[in-house]
Amino acid sequence: MINAEAEQGTLASRAGEVFSRYRDGQSEAMAELVAMLTPILWHTVRAQRLDKESTEDVLQTTWLALVRSAESISDPRAVLQWLIVAARREAWRVMRGQARQVPYEIADDAVSTPESDQPDNVVLRGVSDSVLWSHVAELPERCRTLLRVIAFADRPDYPELARSLGMPIGSIGPTRGRCLAKLRASLSADARWELR
Amino acid sequence: MNTPGIPAEHLADAPLDAADALVLSMLADLYDLVDPVPSDLVDRLQFSITLDALNAELAELQLLPEAELAYRGDQVSTVTTLTFASESLTTMIAISPDGPDRIRIDGWIAPAAEAVVEMHQGALRRQVSADADGRFAFEDVAHGLARFVVTAREPAQHPPVMTPAVEI
Repeated sequence: MINAEAEQGTLASRAGEVFSRYRDGQSEAMAELVAMLTPILWHTVRAQRLDKESTEDVLQTTWLALVRSAESISDPRAVLQWLIVAARREAWRVMRGQARQVPYEIADDAVSTPESDQPDNVVLRGVSDSVLWSHVAELPERCRTLLRVIAFADRPDYPELARSLGMPIGSIGPTRGRCLAKLRASLSADARWELR
Repeated sequence: MNTPGIPAEHLADAPLDAADALVLSMLADLYDLVDPVPSDLVDRLQFSITLDALNAELAELQLLPEAELAYRGDQVSTVTTLTFASESLTTMIAISPDGPDRIRIDGWIAPAAEAVVEMHQGALRRQVSADADGRFAFEDVAHGLARFVVTAREPAQHPPVMTPAVEI
């Protein structure tokens, strides 16, 4: 894994490299960047409990903002962090707007998270999946958000991503940090859990 | 690998290990399963970025009787002719087989003028020139979603025109 990271770079470093090419005039590099980073941005915004349609709008706004600010971003290598911060801000902005428009009962209903309501509707593939899911659901929300986002990146990226998510230094990487430790501890105390 | 009884504070200060990597990759798979990225979202995002960047005019697909089945349908490869219309231009493309699993696209732009025609298939882009009669062709093309951007050689003639994505 270390070798693979050294050869291909991490998600953040590959994104930085593609974004630099875009800034150097290769306009088609933007399409590559969108394909590369849309999954992690999708999960970043969905972790904020935004519905799918609004999440798509948020991502569109975020990407257009990147195109318009492309020249003013001081360090192209930090493009992933820039996008995560921009997407989260835009998601907050949209949610504040929705909270004003939507009656309280409905707003309350919308607060049911993907974490709590979706597993019932999805057939998980095996015992380990359902065990993992049940323990993730027990984590505090900020921990679920952190793990959900970093799960889509590579290990050397974790500290910077945690920072972009507004988590304190040391939340994850190079040490395990509290959130992942909590999950590992509760998994290891569960007799049904066996790492393959 | 399991460590029953070890309190979370000790685990928190230990370095990330292979078991963490496994748990996190399972977690990514799980989130992909319960809350997948909509399958055409990347394409739609790329589309709005390109449209925005080009300040382009968006053409509309004119459904011809024989082309109805082809537009973003599940049943592909029966396409013959598609026409895209916008304020400045009409672009017509004819699709024909070009060897096994490959196709050839012959196109016409009206009013006829020299132009650069770019075909986008995901992140893949190919460029050809339309001649003074407005004719252009792409050979050896893979099936899939594609869109076309037509840019006039003389920028004063018309703004870039972009078609919606069609299954070819």
